[in-house]
Amino acid sequence: MDLVFIAQDCINGVLMGLIYGLVALGLTLIFGVLKVINFAHGSFLMVGMYVAYWAVTLSGLHPYLALVIIVPAMFLFGYWIQNLLIRPIFIAEKNVREPITVIIVTTGLWYVLDNLALLVFGPDYRALAPNPLKGQMLEFGEIFISVPKLYGAIATLATAGGLYLFLQRTRLGRAVRATSLDREAASLMGIGQWKIFNIAFGIGTAVAGISGAVLTPFYNVYPTVGIPFDIKSFVIVVLGGLGSIWGALVGGVIVGLIESVGPNFMASTWTEGIVYALFLLVLFVKPSGLFGQKQDW
Amino acid sequence: MKRSHLLALAMILCMAFPAMSFAETIVKVGNILPLSGPSASVGQQGKQAREMAIEEINAAGGIKSLGGAKIEMLYADSKSDPNVGVTEAERFINTEKVHVITGAWNSGVTYPSTAVAERYGIPYIVPVSVRDTITERGFKNVFRIAAKDSWWTRDQFTFLKDMQAEFGEELKTVAFVYENGDWGTGFAAQWKKLIEGSGLKVVLDEPYSSSATDLTPLVNKIRRARPDVLLLVSNAADAILLTNTLADYKVSPKVILGSGGGHADPTFLSGCGDNARYIFDIVEWEADVNKPGAKEANEKYRAKYGTNLTGEAVDAYVAMYMLADALERAGSLEPAALRKALAETDLKSGPGMIVTYDAIKFDASGQNENAALSIVQINDLGKGLERITVWPKGARRAGYTPVFPMPKK
Repeated sequence: MDLVFIAQDCINGVLMGLIYGLVALGLTLIFGVLKVINFAHGSFLMVGMYVAYWAVTLSGLHPYLALVIIVPAMFLFGYWIQNLLIRPIFIAEKNVREPITVIIVTTGLWYVLDNLALLVFGPDYRALAPNPLKGQMLEFGEIFISVPKLYGAIATLATAGGLYLFLQRTRLGRAVRATSLDREAASLMGIGQWKIFNIAFGIGTAVAGISGAVLTPFYNVYPTVGIPFDIKSFVIVVLGGLGSIWGALVGGVIVGLIESVGPNFMASTWTEGIVYALFLLVLFVKPSGLFGQKQDW
Repeated sequence: MKRSHLLALAMILCMAFPAMSFAETIVKVGNILPLSGPSASVGQQGKQAREMAIEEINAAGGIKSLGGAKIEMLYADSKSDPNVGVTEAERFINTEKVHVITGAWNSGVTYPSTAVAERYGIPYIVPVSVRDTITERGFKNVFRIAAKDSWWTRDQFTFLKDMQAEFGEELKTVAFVYENGDWGTGFAAQWKKLIEGSGLKVVLDEPYSSSATDLTPLVNKIRRARPDVLLLVSNAADAILLTNTLADYKVSPKVILGSGGGHADPTFLSGCGDNARYIFDIVEWEADVNKPGAKEANEKYRAKYGTNLTGEAVDAYVAMYMLADALERAGSLEPAALRKALAETDLKSGPGMIVTYDAIKFDASGQNENAALSIVQINDLGKGLERITVWPKGARRAGYTPVFPMPKK
């Protein structure tokens, strides 16, 4: 086995893994604060990709510049969804900290969004145009690095770092963390629980929007594009620990590396099996994930 | 008093209903297609082609031997899931009481859902689904219009042989890369049989998942195997992703040859742009085919739905005309009579016959024995990327010389 091949595969694995981590980041953030699983996360990514696609197609902007349109749009979308759909459930099930109904509602939302996209945009596979990043590669002898993926990995680190600083350093971030730790106590301290929920959901959705902008330069947009990423995101957040920002990135990189380096030793379809086996193993051995808190909140 | 009222009502109903159904016979056709999920695009094309044909047939007076009966289309979304396909076939037969079923594009869905129809004795028309065994189980009610996959792979190898002879370029190694569903693995099994005696050496044999989010690892494997020929079976989203990733990594074998499906999807060209250039693909039908009515049908379809007809859409289109022809000859909606009429099909002309071959005729297994294939090359001759028929040589577009081998990237 040539070492240069392994190096090539590791680079791709880390880059792609970080991007998987970015997709999972929104999921883990929403879980961290609301303590509910957003089953529609893949559809939010799909919406993010369509928003990115249209923002770039209509404005002609560079996909990363278009983030100034995508992020606020997606934030408002998430804010609105939580306010209109999720909040009533929390109110109806006041005595439960993690209302199961949210799973059903978000699953319903997933179907509604995917089919709405099918209805509105049709089943076509859309490629971004204009796409200044299309096919851009850095070449170092045998080693090729995909520029759109490199940008994506940098965007992931920037987003994760930004979120971390936001949660640690700002007053609003502290309010989000307080609500995440104990929503009753936080309410008693004068933190508006619903507003924080709205904001957390909005941020989670905005991160799905960033993922959309990162993916569209090298990935086609179609109505069910969220599903493969959705499944991967669940594996990643469980692997890294639900609610943990860095856990999502590490979990993503682990999955990316298995997917990328694995095929040197087996058929590429088997790597999926390894990822799921690892997923089960983590659930058995350390159910809270690599970076998850052991104690319940 | 009340009871006699009910009785009278029941009698009136008994008399009224048969009378009503005589007045307006309706042929109910149940269609199982992947209208959402990974193959939604091709499923929609199948639906559109069917709709266009049925509109034409109904507008032309319906089925005359059944008193101008109109054809009513029912659609079920299989989501490419075999279980859903089976449930929908059951529902069509038991609840909707359909007279014919058509579908289901995905071989994996067609295989079990045809078994349901066979059990109930309801005719099942398969416009496209290539897995051989669909018509090799001794079923009496299954009729397939498209070529089987063993014919596809046979022609792919004949094409490679003919091209080597024509251009004096020797091909030594081959890589098999295919989606890991029924369709891809079926093709790969055929390729492995054909490889003996072809003079080619297999350097890579790799299945992959169509829903993979990253095909770079696969592309790197292809890059390291350095095949002369890259044989592919891909669905739509992965065909685009694979083609673009191959171009990114500058993988340039002498020949890239697709197997229809994703490579024939109309969005493939827009999704890949120049990266799709020089790729060969095997198809049943191409818009440049020299058949009366083909151009008009394609124009009409294009105006209606915005894309060219594909081989798969044409099969669906012609299937409806074939069904109308059989209904006309059967003059009955009895499953047995309809089955007999379908089995005796010898459709040579008519508005639907825009396929490349001359007649639709079924052998004892229900396979259309005339189904034929051709190979196209994607190239830009100054009017944007298009699919140009290159093989068999007799069908090659006049004045076009295939680019073979592919230029190095």
